[in-house]
Amino acid sequence: MSVRAIRVFRYDPCLGGEGGFEGYSLDIPDESNTTILDVLLRLQREQDSTLAFRYACRVNMCGSCAMVINGTEGLACKTNVSDFPAGKEITLRPLNHFPIIKDLVVDMEPFFKKYEASLPFFEPKGEYEEPIKIRPDAAERVDIGLATECIACGCCVSSCTMFHYHDEYAGPASLNRAFTLLADSRDALFDQRMTKVLDSCYNCRTEFNCTEVCPKNISGTRAIKYIQRLALKHRNDKDPAAVPAAVPQPEPPTMVDRRSFLRKVGVGVMGLGSALALGGVLTTTTVGPTLAETPKQWIPVGELKDFPDGAISTRPLKYEIKSGIYTQPVTMPVLISRQGDEIICFKASCTHLGCIVHWDDLSGRFRCACHGGAFDRKGDVIAGPPPRPLDRYSFRVDAGTLFVEVS
Amino acid sequence: MNAKASLEYRTPLKWGELDPHRRENTKVGMWAWLWQRISALAIVVFLVLHVTLTYKPIIQFGLLLFVAFHAALGLRVILLDFNIVDVKYQRALVWGLVALGLLSMGIIWFSIY
Repeated sequence: MSVRAIRVFRYDPCLGGEGGFEGYSLDIPDESNTTILDVLLRLQREQDSTLAFRYACRVNMCGSCAMVINGTEGLACKTNVSDFPAGKEITLRPLNHFPIIKDLVVDMEPFFKKYEASLPFFEPKGEYEEPIKIRPDAAERVDIGLATECIACGCCVSSCTMFHYHDEYAGPASLNRAFTLLADSRDALFDQRMTKVLDSCYNCRTEFNCTEVCPKNISGTRAIKYIQRLALKHRNDKDPAAVPAAVPQPEPPTMVDRRSFLRKVGVGVMGLGSALALGGVLTTTTVGPTLAETPKQWIPVGELKDFPDGAISTRPLKYEIKSGIYTQPVTMPVLISRQGDEIICFKASCTHLGCIVHWDDLSGRFRCACHGGAFDRKGDVIAGPPPRPLDRYSFRVDAGTLFVEVS
Repeated sequence: MNAKASLEYRTPLKWGELDPHRRENTKVGMWAWLWQRISALAIVVFLVLHVTLTYKPIIQFGLLLFVAFHAALGLRVILLDFNIVDVKYQRALVWGLVALGLLSMGIIWFSIY
């Protein structure tokens, strides 16, 4: 006794709604000789005669019984029950991306509509008396290989995640058909076909889902890449007369549906995000360093012995300020007051409006020429508008040389 | 009454909708595509952090990690696009290139820090 639990997606068009899974259990004596199609037939005969599914040939040739079996697209007649671990539940679901008519039967209309995009017929270049000879080992024959074996079951389209998101995307089956004809040197419709399918190819995201599920081991991804390379190879030899004047464009949707709205919002958010990110980077690189504190530096003013005791000496202070991406040279007088061991280094900039102050030996005070400000020997205000004493530099004496710290 | 009853089709199932085996249907190529997109966004974030907070090892590590990932998966697409590697090796290509990317990242990381 080996009883399998089987869940089948059911949708009744008379009842409508979302549909859902219904559970069955079936005793399968010989699992390696029982296909999923056999299971469905037995379920229909023995348990539920309303179960609907589609099949014709039973030998992997017609592609009618394609469905999603335990999460992977495949033909019911090609998949054995023993392909799944013993005792594991089997879940059967109709193909994705197609309207469901009943249970596991889908409407393949969208598939064949997209299939037509590839002009899926052979058009000879002229009238021939004799067959054209293409050797079996010719490059084009080898390239096309078994890609012509497609049975249009729709597994690849169902597995493709991009098919849902791009209305104009022809899908792997259609593009595979286009590839077999584009690579064929006997075919006359190269330019027309290329014009119709090339844009579609760029909707492929190289996920290989179609390749993984194809019951005939055809790679839709390979076909798509082949068409793109073919277009690259033939980019210059386009005959303008051969290209149809205008390819009819799909009419723009008048109603904003949820998907296009979400897409627009998505694009907006992404755009805003990138703009903010770029703006952030540019701002921090250009403005950031300007706002940052300039590093302090020690600038030598002169030998300590050159500053006479009891006098005020004026020395020019030359240094550079690095501000952002440019370097600003600064020349600023520094006033050194020396009385015995006490040394004060004043910034020669009036605390009122920044004019240069100078030492007036006669009156014994620092005087500002602009508005009559005056400071005493200690830098304290004694006259005029300055709001605070003169600014001082911190300084140090190193090996007889006086350094002041600027920032 | 309309003699010919018009029956409603159910709207198409989306990929993975109502699918208890959705994870089994997520193949390696799909992860390669998804991770390249995710790493692209991560690179934008880490690049901003890298410029604003320079030389923070954790940010450098993250940036290097995602750049390695993104570059490896980008190389995969290029190699497949131009038929430099046959599509039948596409699964091996994902693991191989990601491993190569992480290896070179490790070498760079340990030679710096």
